[in-house]
Amino acid sequence: MVGTFATIIIIKDVFQFTQTSEYATGFRLWLILGTALISSMLVSGILSMLVEMVAYRRLRRMNSGVLAPLISAIGVSMVLSESVRILTDSRPVASPRAMEKKFLGQFFDAGIRIDNTIIVISALVLFGILITFVNKTRMGKAIRAVSMNPNAARLMGINIDGVISATFLVGGLMTGAAGFFYTLKYENTSAFIGFELGIAAFTAAILGGIGNIKGAFYGGLALGLLETYASFFLGTQWKAVTVFVVLVLVLYTRPNGLFGEALTQTRA
Amino acid sequence: MSTSLIELKNVTMKFGGVTALGDVSFDVKEKEILGLIGPNGAGKTTVFNVITGVYQITSGEIIFDGKSLAGVKRYKITKRGVARTFQNIRLWGDMTALENVMTAADTHKKSGLVSGLFGFPVSRREEKRDKARAQELLDFIGIGEYSDRLAKNLPYGVQRRLEIARAMGAEPKLLLLDEPAAGFNPAEKVELAATIRKIRDAGYTVLLIEHDMSLVMKVSDRVVVLDFGQKIADDSPRKVQDDPRVIEAYLGVPEDAS
Amino acid sequence: MFNLRDKGAEIWESQGRVGRVAIAVGAIAIVAALPFMGGTFLNTPVADYESVLVYPIAMFVLMAIGLNIVIGKSGLLDLGYVAFFAIGAYTMGLLGTKTELNTWEILPIGIAMAMFSGIILGVPALKLRGDYLAIITLGFGEIVRIVALNLGALGRSEGIQGIPTPPGIFGIEYAFDSHRIYYWTLLILILLAIWMVRRLSARRAGRAWESIRQDEDAAELLGVPTFKYKVWAFVLGASVGGAAGVIYASKTLFIAPDNFTLQISILILACVVFGGMGNIWGVILGAVILGYLPDRIRFLSDARLLVFGLVLVLMMNLRPDGILPRKKREKAIVKKDAS
Repeated sequence: MVGTFATIIIIKDVFQFTQTSEYATGFRLWLILGTALISSMLVSGILSMLVEMVAYRRLRRMNSGVLAPLISAIGVSMVLSESVRILTDSRPVASPRAMEKKFLGQFFDAGIRIDNTIIVISALVLFGILITFVNKTRMGKAIRAVSMNPNAARLMGINIDGVISATFLVGGLMTGAAGFFYTLKYENTSAFIGFELGIAAFTAAILGGIGNIKGAFYGGLALGLLETYASFFLGTQWKAVTVFVVLVLVLYTRPNGLFGEALTQTRA
Repeated sequence: MSTSLIELKNVTMKFGGVTALGDVSFDVKEKEILGLIGPNGAGKTTVFNVITGVYQITSGEIIFDGKSLAGVKRYKITKRGVARTFQNIRLWGDMTALENVMTAADTHKKSGLVSGLFGFPVSRREEKRDKARAQELLDFIGIGEYSDRLAKNLPYGVQRRLEIARAMGAEPKLLLLDEPAAGFNPAEKVELAATIRKIRDAGYTVLLIEHDMSLVMKVSDRVVVLDFGQKIADDSPRKVQDDPRVIEAYLGVPEDAS
Repeated sequence: MFNLRDKGAEIWESQGRVGRVAIAVGAIAIVAALPFMGGTFLNTPVADYESVLVYPIAMFVLMAIGLNIVIGKSGLLDLGYVAFFAIGAYTMGLLGTKTELNTWEILPIGIAMAMFSGIILGVPALKLRGDYLAIITLGFGEIVRIVALNLGALGRSEGIQGIPTPPGIFGIEYAFDSHRIYYWTLLILILLAIWMVRRLSARRAGRAWESIRQDEDAAELLGVPTFKYKVWAFVLGASVGGAAGVIYASKTLFIAPDNFTLQISILILACVVFGGMGNIWGVILGAVILGYLPDRIRFLSDARLLVFGLVLVLMMNLRPDGILPRKKREKAIVKKDAS
């Protein structure tokens, strides 16, 4: 849903400010990292739910089509990023180094750094949890049901509002985690990064195919690899162009993304 | 013996593992009313879909007016002379009844965007002509008074008839009617039967999908029966009604024994 | 709720030919006189009022009319409209600085370039729908900006400087700081655009676009060459954007890729949705308000974008169909066709 992605855009504007400000090294490190991650996720998740209730719920009830929520989302995005910007005086905020960026070893020519490792492993774990959630739990099934056929879902007794809130919560949690990883790795942040990353998220979702978590995973992976290789071979300035050209090519041969389900079939 | 307007020859339509139509062959003769019946899921709407180009058939041939329809774009098929109505009404709700019909009539216009913009005479002529024709068609079907009402505000029965008028607006040789009587009460069905005959008498050929047996039998010159994607009967209504295979396919009682 | 649109339409229709001409002339006169109203409450603090009238207001109005054809009438989600604006502007920039041609000669070229790129984007993109179309158009907008940012010939991040202003017409000078002239020039372009859209709406093109927007598949099955008309929508929308770009470049004297960001595409989109998609007057009103607002509320200084965002959220939730919704009035007959 466009709305969800728009939300992601705006949430990313805010996630970073949930870092605890004091850090230490040693075994307390994991505790701090963990707290930072969880609190980041929670704040984003709850914020995401609130946004849905305030900015989109009414439109959903009125069946307003897809563009009204999009504009509303843009408005929310502006409100959030501007609030943050005003609070931070328009300057980037540096995050204190939480830990030593130790090198753990070599993998062929690439050095393996601990922060990158943490990020990759955590992301995989989170993804695993997400897949399990969507496929195996009751709420996960409810979410899928609502996305396929809201009317039928309602008739089957599913609480649509609750499901939508849950969806936004989950989206927010994931985004909060992403924010945590970003700050861990890059150690600074500002009010403006949400937008760009949000567009990247949207693109990754489209590439992988909307409506499919597995697709989103591979889409994100593909996008990341694409960007990196494009930067390497063509220079960073052509990164976005390459990505979009590839996107067009992919959508040509597979109009629903790499793994997407056709949301719009020719009806007759 | 009149000529076939459209011929399906050994048409097979497969979707992945499902065979929606299996080696179906039949034709519709000019100026005839052919009823296409069969239990739910038999493949009737699929027949409409392959004729109108929504799907490309897996194998076989469809010959319309002497030419094959293979690979022809949908709007071009309409231009050649095939138009349809939809089982679930698909009118353009924010346009008036008249505009709905005029949009279909645009199919055959020679003038396009540029001549419309600059008001070339050919465009103005065609616009005037088609507007009058659209009103004519609405009157013909009996809903002329609704021409300036928005399609979404029309009563159900009027909407169904508008669907037909709109399809006729495309000046088809072959008119495909997909369950035009759905939701009608018996009196309305009688009226509809008369309308369909009136349409045929005006020179159109009609291929009709319907569930209401009595309507189909009353109005059709011939009936084709499908079951599980196969043709199981192709004969006059009388004979089809008594055909044991048809009776078996329907498991006895027809839906609407009015 | 008080329905502006219906009231306006009612008044319009109750007039005969003379009455309508009078209303139209009157309205145009009032709009044309806007530059003289700088002394009133309309004034914008900080930014020069008349400059604001030209950009963003008049430019936004023009572009919103163009984008409305694509999104409002045809239902095609285009998130990269700024690309056409940029192409028009860069055409003006390049030809203006490198050749002897003047603005009026470049204008048709700029429009043609934009239309051509509309085809280049449209033919591949319009085979897709919905979100997929949206992301492709967004990509196109970004690609144009990035190419401008990286090509030496286009000046990279410094852009193009020293773009000449248009030569005088009928003895009227086009100095870069005489905003009024530009405003009135844009007004003429806007009127042309309105004429074009209204003409097309009443004819085959308008019906084709509407049917595509409401049910594209049914349209195709009833003889509408949907692909052709979708591309046309793109091309016409692009032409308007390109025209705006040419005038923009020849006014601001220098252009840079930073002037043509995704933000602008989204802002124009907001004008269209905010004002009432499909309804040309709504879209104009939306563009006027959204173009005017940020400068008018500058007194809020730092918080003004925040307030702007709030306005968007509030507005969409209160009136999701926009200020002047599309909803057609029943009695409004298909209207002035035979003329």
